Amino acid sequence: MKPHRRKKLTIIAFIATGLGIAIGLSLYALSNAIDLFFTPSQIAAGEVNNGQRIRIGGMVKEGSVEKSQDSLHVEFIATDYSHDLRVRYDGILPDLFREGQGVVAEGMVANGVFEASRVLAKHDENYMSVEVKAALDAAERERSLPVMATEGGPSGT
Amino acid sequence: MWQWFFRLGSPKWFYEMSGKWLPWLLVLMTVLMSVGIFWALLFVPQDYQQGDTIRIMYVHVPVASISLACFPLMAVAGVITLVWKMKLADMVAKCAAPIGAWFTAVALATGAIWGQPIWGTWWAWDARLTSMLIQFFLLIGVIALRSAIESPDAAAKACALLAIVGAINVPIIKYSVEWWNTLHQPASDFSMDENSAFGPEIWVPLVIMIFAVYLFFVISLILSTRNEILQRERRSQWVMDIVANEKV
Repeated sequence: MKPHRRKKLTIIAFIATGLGIAIGLSLYALSNAIDLFFTPSQIAAGEVNNGQRIRIGGMVKEGSVEKSQDSLHVEFIATDYSHDLRVRYDGILPDLFREGQGVVAEGMVANGVFEASRVLAKHDENYMSVEVKAALDAAERERSLPVMATEGGPSGT
Repeated sequence: MWQWFFRLGSPKWFYEMSGKWLPWLLVLMTVLMSVGIFWALLFVPQDYQQGDTIRIMYVHVPVASISLACFPLMAVAGVITLVWKMKLADMVAKCAAPIGAWFTAVALATGAIWGQPIWGTWWAWDARLTSMLIQFFLLIGVIALRSAIESPDAAAKACALLAIVGAINVPIIKYSVEWWNTLHQPASDFSMDENSAFGPEIWVPLVIMIFAVYLFFVISLILSTRNEILQRERRSQWVMDIVANEKV
């Protein structure tokens, strides 16, 4: 390579690395602001003030969803498996909302409960056809049946 | 040792070679694209959570991944333009910008259409979506910069520099879903074993679509670059010969 070309290439490499480091550091410093949501652990650690408008994200805890019979009111627990956060919401839930599914809610913390004004479902990176899911569920049921029998749970079909 | 490299940079050589490749690429793309589209739209089974919405993935994922390849391509072309002053590199960079902008726009649009039924919103200011929007604006910026500077040489240098700087956004888009918590899901596990995020009935058509859309991108870029070559080399003898032959 000719010397003047090598020099130019070095300059470009320097600019690119320098800029890369600068941007990397600023993104690292801003990571709290870039995160779309707080986790229940962050809320428990007191990182958020009461009444501050934020988003929280977590999994809908199994067996925690309580739907009101005569209104759209719903309560559930969002969890990151180390801390839980109770969420209250009045409104229409997305189709994908269910127990064990990721969820992002917008609103504010009041007295340790999250008052949501909007709830979004978070899709995971797994895809499965209806048939495969049905086959997996059937296998799961077969495995769990004997366990239920020994526990004296409800028998029969 | 560098001779092959400079021959590669000759517009005449590129024009002749690409003319030979184009029909083959076109046939291959047509076959892959029609197989992929029909498979994805008609035969892929419904997803257990998303239902038919999963079919959007067969456009969204290929288009989005190729729009990420466009900026590094422009950055490499930019380095070649700045260091070796190769004309062809700048022509490719110029033609790649609008194509990349279209791919980015389609990725954003299909993502929004998917997000509405699945997430419950068209748009969220999460790291993946926002960095992708920044890529769209950067590409618009490259196009605008090129047309704002009158001297072709100065425009080439400025755009090359912007492409190199802007390419820093690509790893940010790619890893945004891992570095920060986002609404957008992380990339799916594509391995062949039981860890795979999806069965072959879902990923085989996706792979076909990725190849098909990649070919579509390459063909668009070649066609556009050939136009650019004829435009810029219109005073050279070999282009005049081609034009004279076409007229007969």
